Amino acid sequence: MRLELVSFPVRDARFGPRLRFADEVLEIDRAGLLDLVGRQADFFRSVQVDIARPGERTRIIHVIDAIEPRCKVAPAGAPTFPGFLGPPEVTGTGRTHRLEGFAVLTTGNIPGAEGSQGLKEAIVDMAGPGAEYTPVGRLTNVVLRFEVAEGIPVPEAVQAIRLAGLRAATWLAEATRDLAPARVESFELGPADPALPRVVYIQPMMREGDIHTTFIYGLPVESLPLVLHPNEVLDGAIVSADYWIACHRIPTYLYQNEPVVRALYRRHGHDLNFVAVIACRCLIVAEAEKRRQAAQVAKVARMLAAQGAIITMSNGGHAYADQMLICQAVEQAGIRTVLGVDEYSDTDGGDVPLVIYVPEARAIVSCGNQEARVDLPAMERVLGGDRFVTTGNSYEEAFRRHPAEPFTIGIRQIYAATAQVGFGRLTAREF
Amino acid sequence: MAEPIRIVHYLNQFFAGIGGEEKGDEPVGHRGGPVGPGLALQEALGAEGRIVATVWCGDNRFHEMRETVVSDLLRLIEAEAPAVLIAGPAFNAGRYGTACAILGSAAAQKLDLPVVTGMFPENPGVEAGRRDMYIVPTAAAATGMRAALPVMARLALRLGRGESLGPGDIEGYLPRGSRRNFFDAEVGAERMVAMLLARLRGEPFRTELPLPRFDRVPPAPPVRDLPRARLALVTEAGIVPQGNPDGLESWRATKWVKYRIAGLDALAPEQFTSVHGGFDTARIRQDPHRIVPLDVLRELEREGRIGRLHEDLYVTVGNVAPVARAERFGREIAEDLRKAGVQAVLLTAT
Repeated sequence: MRLELVSFPVRDARFGPRLRFADEVLEIDRAGLLDLVGRQADFFRSVQVDIARPGERTRIIHVIDAIEPRCKVAPAGAPTFPGFLGPPEVTGTGRTHRLEGFAVLTTGNIPGAEGSQGLKEAIVDMAGPGAEYTPVGRLTNVVLRFEVAEGIPVPEAVQAIRLAGLRAATWLAEATRDLAPARVESFELGPADPALPRVVYIQPMMREGDIHTTFIYGLPVESLPLVLHPNEVLDGAIVSADYWIACHRIPTYLYQNEPVVRALYRRHGHDLNFVAVIACRCLIVAEAEKRRQAAQVAKVARMLAAQGAIITMSNGGHAYADQMLICQAVEQAGIRTVLGVDEYSDTDGGDVPLVIYVPEARAIVSCGNQEARVDLPAMERVLGGDRFVTTGNSYEEAFRRHPAEPFTIGIRQIYAATAQVGFGRLTAREF
Repeated sequence: MAEPIRIVHYLNQFFAGIGGEEKGDEPVGHRGGPVGPGLALQEALGAEGRIVATVWCGDNRFHEMRETVVSDLLRLIEAEAPAVLIAGPAFNAGRYGTACAILGSAAAQKLDLPVVTGMFPENPGVEAGRRDMYIVPTAAAATGMRAALPVMARLALRLGRGESLGPGDIEGYLPRGSRRNFFDAEVGAERMVAMLLARLRGEPFRTELPLPRFDRVPPAPPVRDLPRARLALVTEAGIVPQGNPDGLESWRATKWVKYRIAGLDALAPEQFTSVHGGFDTARIRQDPHRIVPLDVLRELEREGRIGRLHEDLYVTVGNVAPVARAERFGREIAEDLRKAGVQAVLLTAT
């Protein structure tokens, strides 16, 4: 299974008369894009489109998802996001074009979205210290702002926004379809020296309640192991629908550019033998279901003759319990593990960092303390909404202010800041 | 070249060369320049730092007249206008280590001075002082002097230049109890793979998050006489009257609250809701009894199977609660229940 990922680096984007990519500049036909994403007219009261560039004093709020523009060039007719924009065929072979350094950010406001169907505030700053924390702060972003019509049930509203975002991402990448590739990366699990250790990547993906989930080929992740080829992860099989706490969401963009998959690929055939990705669920509700999954994940890892496993997670709270149970079962199967986590060490760094642990969790990489606070400066422009989403919590004092103002917040409010897949350099240690 | 960084060095009577145990009552003293281990320390500091004075006190004297001794020492230290205070190293000497910790804390808090010392990790001075100073781990005995001094000198020079230090396990000091964020050299995914390869090769590796220690709470003994007991309902499910009159937070709650349920036979969904922000509350908002079974307890009360239901419902939200705060809520609620003569609690969590 061989995937050629063709990168077209985007230096800048601007609006113009037609969709065109030349000299690393993406020209976007604004009316054409609005026409495309506004097709579900019954759902949206209005749709706006803007461009946000790195270094601009722009703050984007109400971020829903970030998607890297992709289009499938070969095999002919293969869907770019199978399960959403085509049948759920196995992806990860052939040739896919990508706009590198670029993302579609869906943002918006959904009337009546509250409680367990609520979307928590998620912030992206394009300049200043906030931009350092989020994986999309250094990208050129097309920001789509959806105002959902009154009376649309929340699950339908988020699905409409999701489809619009995926369509926009595909449409934009179409600008490169007939262009000569700038850079081609090949992903193939070629033969490796049998002496190298066999490594699997165990990736629990969040799912909770009606709207918060992770889609695999268009359907919500299940609480049993699913063996994936790493190319499937990189090539559009996974779509994010986590709208809970901003910092440990894993945007679709981070599945398309999965950092652990890429890191394991880099070492494949040199230091290790990358065997497979084992996708499973976190935030499972029932204890028996949690334990069944952990046991089955360990069984599959053993059947794959794995010697080592990286286990990440997404979201928080009892997602840690799912991760720790998997760690325990996998270690007890004789497989060495390393965990990726983020921390709840409180604002002063003095609290117990994890919700739960097992004694087998001896090797942990921290993607940062989500409670740490950061000062964000004033911005000149706000995209995505007019005022912050607040749950009335006293910790969200800053959210009573206008989003363009300077304020101090916990990095938990910054989009994907502590995503436990380790995209960035943020970490925490005891000082 | 810039002026060398001014450093004052603290020693006990033994290392100051005055005498052993028999000189433990030696009063506070001082002298310009390095003394005893200060000579090797000065060598490790090189031209960048200068021990401008050494101050000392006998270990017994220090602990017997602690307040006077500390204020005398602070006065002597302040007069030298140092940029850094170095104390010890004290190795595994308990009284000396504690003296270094107490003096160091005072210098850090009152003179705003960075303080560097060295101790064996199990020296009681470590617990006393780790939050206020940088303690370099040393061997138990003074044979560890040669290894400790260069690390202490390096940290002292960096602090003296006003630099902030990285995490303890990388810089070589004992962690000070505060986990802080920073940007590492490598991204997280690469660090995960590198750590896994180290484990698979049997090489040493360092977890970025040593496992915390949790308290184990032994279960309470069974209630002896339930038909006579006063039973209270306590929950962290965020059940509050509609409108959330006390503004109970949906996560990281800053308070616990109580609501009168005397005279109520049920928690009607029109009257009560849940503000918990950590799970899907739809089912318990439909019927709050799914988490606070007031209806069933009223039946049991009428049937005489429990003595009496306490008149207040105790509520907080356990979502993302700092452990220390959760412990405080527990103590406060227990105290309140005890005063009210409650013998049994039905504690429901989510």
